[in-house]
Amino acid sequence: MSDAASPLLEVRGLVKEYPGVRALGGVDLTVTSGQVHCLIGQNGAGKSTLIKCVSGLVEPTAGEVRFEGEPLPVGDPNASIARGIATIYQELDLVPHLSVAQNVFLGHEHKRGPLLNRAAMHRETRALFARLGDEGIPPTAEVSTLRPAQQQVVSMARALSHSAKLLILDEPSAVLDDVEVEALFGVVRRLAAEGVGVIWISHRLGEVGELGDVVTVLKEGRTVATELPPDTPVDTLIRHMVGGRMEALFPDRGPFREATVLDVRGLTRAPDVFDASFTLREGEILGLAGLVGSGRTELLRLVYGLDPAQSGEVEVGGRRLPPARPDLAIRAGLGLAPEERKSEGLWLDWSMVRNTSIADLSRFRRGPFTDLAGERRDATRHLRSLNTQPDAPERAARLFSGGNQQKAVLARWLLRSCRVLLLDEPTRGVDVGARSEIYRVIADLAANGIGIVMVSSELAELLGFCHRVLVLREGRIVDELDGATSTEEDVLRSAVPVHHITKAG
Amino acid sequence: MAVDTDTTTVDARSRLRQVPVQELVLPIVIIALIIVGAIIRPGIFLTSDNLLNVLTQASITGIIAIGMTFVIATGGIDLSVGSALAAASIAGGLLMPFGSWMFMLGALAMALLIGAINGAAIVWGKVVPFIATLAMLTIARGLALWMAERTPISLIDLDILQWFGSGRVLGIPIPALIFVIVSIVGWVVLNRTTFGRRAVAVGGNRSAARIAGIRPGRVIFAVYVLTGLCVGISAILLSGRLASASPVVGNLVELDAIAAVVIGGTALTGGKATVTGTFFGVITFGLIFNLLNLLNMPTEIQGIVKGLLILVAVALQRRD
Repeated sequence: MSDAASPLLEVRGLVKEYPGVRALGGVDLTVTSGQVHCLIGQNGAGKSTLIKCVSGLVEPTAGEVRFEGEPLPVGDPNASIARGIATIYQELDLVPHLSVAQNVFLGHEHKRGPLLNRAAMHRETRALFARLGDEGIPPTAEVSTLRPAQQQVVSMARALSHSAKLLILDEPSAVLDDVEVEALFGVVRRLAAEGVGVIWISHRLGEVGELGDVVTVLKEGRTVATELPPDTPVDTLIRHMVGGRMEALFPDRGPFREATVLDVRGLTRAPDVFDASFTLREGEILGLAGLVGSGRTELLRLVYGLDPAQSGEVEVGGRRLPPARPDLAIRAGLGLAPEERKSEGLWLDWSMVRNTSIADLSRFRRGPFTDLAGERRDATRHLRSLNTQPDAPERAARLFSGGNQQKAVLARWLLRSCRVLLLDEPTRGVDVGARSEIYRVIADLAANGIGIVMVSSELAELLGFCHRVLVLREGRIVDELDGATSTEEDVLRSAVPVHHITKAG
Repeated sequence: MAVDTDTTTVDARSRLRQVPVQELVLPIVIIALIIVGAIIRPGIFLTSDNLLNVLTQASITGIIAIGMTFVIATGGIDLSVGSALAAASIAGGLLMPFGSWMFMLGALAMALLIGAINGAAIVWGKVVPFIATLAMLTIARGLALWMAERTPISLIDLDILQWFGSGRVLGIPIPALIFVIVSIVGWVVLNRTTFGRRAVAVGGNRSAARIAGIRPGRVIFAVYVLTGLCVGISAILLSGRLASASPVVGNLVELDAIAAVVIGGTALTGGKATVTGTFFGVITFGLIFNLLNLLNMPTEIQGIVKGLLILVAVALQRRD
């Protein structure tokens, strides 16, 4: 590879304006070969717009992008790919029902005459995985059967198959658990050592110090700090991101009450969940920890009745829930904020008001009609009580940031006056500034007597403000920890399957 | 600024989209058609008789299209409505000896039954709507022919029924009046009742609807029954107008109804529906056929024009 210090990518004074909005107001960024460049900033800081300008998906209004010293044609994704820029977006763009090798070579298949040369593609796919240090993925496997972490590796293999010189990863760790993130770090370091430049966009500030060579912070479409060393304290990074002001990240744990509001006994649905039992008191925040695939999400779905349980029962406030009837679970006082907020939680084209009122439409029934004014009034009140920004309840949910979309889901259950909230990864895709606000909202709900069950892949979050943390491993609850006194190591020790630690198992 | 600027592309686009294209374009098209008609057929086209005739002609398909709007709002489709129209007419015709009211009861009962079977096959049989209603398309047509023994049933003695088909109230033909009433009721149900909201919710995001406590199966079942009701009303009006119940009526009505819904702006994928658009879509087709008829164009030409119109209208709507 070329001189490691030569600038691979130079972005100067990049501006992108949309009607009425300035997404980028002058961004500078320099990435060299072999460098892992961490790009951080709140949602709306312009990170995604910046990388879309580099990858050619978006045409900048002004400014310059140079790649290997030469100007990059703007607004031409094919040119960017041809020059060696590969982008892996937050939402993986793999074709789920094609094989791994078919995905890797999608659009630039090897051919022998008019026919596909499958053998060559399989061979090269294996070689790419070897380069990525992950040889466990068979090239013939269907992508939909792979875990998210493996799918990410497939995306990277695809990028490498284009002989990428610059790899852009947009929030690669968002869907991964801590162990998988560690593996991904290994892959990225390996590529950087080969001379590939990497732009790593993340919300997890802890990763920055562990992985990055330099850090650039964007805020409101501008570069506010660049060439920061990786050992920059997290506090400093947050100060750059939020503009000097820093809030206490986790709210205090409030007291909870004696009364049991949720009683889960022996819930089983093979192969995901086995014999899960726990109780939840009013006002208690109970965390569910575990690796991805340990059955956390599946357990929440069982409690809520989205999937039928094979055995076991759920009681809310002493009343037993009929199986597989989410509508009756809601009537009994349950509410769920699903992990896939956009695909399972919201109607993105609907206004925030409609998204908020949907679980309790009957409340607004006046004779045969819906009381639209009342709907708007009540939904708006709950959205405001959660400080949803911007304060535009008639706007489509699509136009709000992740954190504010999450507030619409929470407002929905406030409107419904639920007694137990099941939260699946409530801060996924939510930026740091908005996260502490979500935490505060959750703590406030608990203080009002609502019982909270919260699944999270981020241990800091679970230990930061949950009263208790249950650890799941391979579908079973294997440990119960006190939130205030336990450490991330305690959780991981229980969460990681034994055969990952010793070969003996 | 707290808006996620990462989505500003969408923001700009959706601001354009906020102009309800189909609800503006179609009225303009309708006005243009009326002007063209007034110019090329002066004194004939622009008469209240002719325009009421357009509305009356369109009413049979139009009433069904209103029901179809709900089916399509949930992401479904109902291909059986044309055959169901014939089956309902014959079911009523078999009760002809017992008078007009029994005819109507019979027609409505058959249409509702067909809708309920469609809904049951889709919800509990888990057959996709396209296939379930395609099967019903041939079943209902067969049923109509078999029940009628292939011959039309004369309804010449049913005065009340014929009044519904050909009578007038305040000078307005009753089918046209009922079409307008069904459209208004349809608008209210879609936009002002929990049922309408839920139908669109199920079509827009079924898993989110389930998590929000909606039972998608019930809603989906209901929209097919609702369409059955519309088919039953149409069967009554059509039979009354023809003064006979025929097993061969309603051919391709399903496609006309779907076409009107689609050019009206309701998304075939579900989750976005407009009764106003459907109403305008029905009127647009009605005017075009009326004009072509006045110009003595052969029916082949009408088919070509209809097809082209669907293509152009839908292509225009997808431009944003």
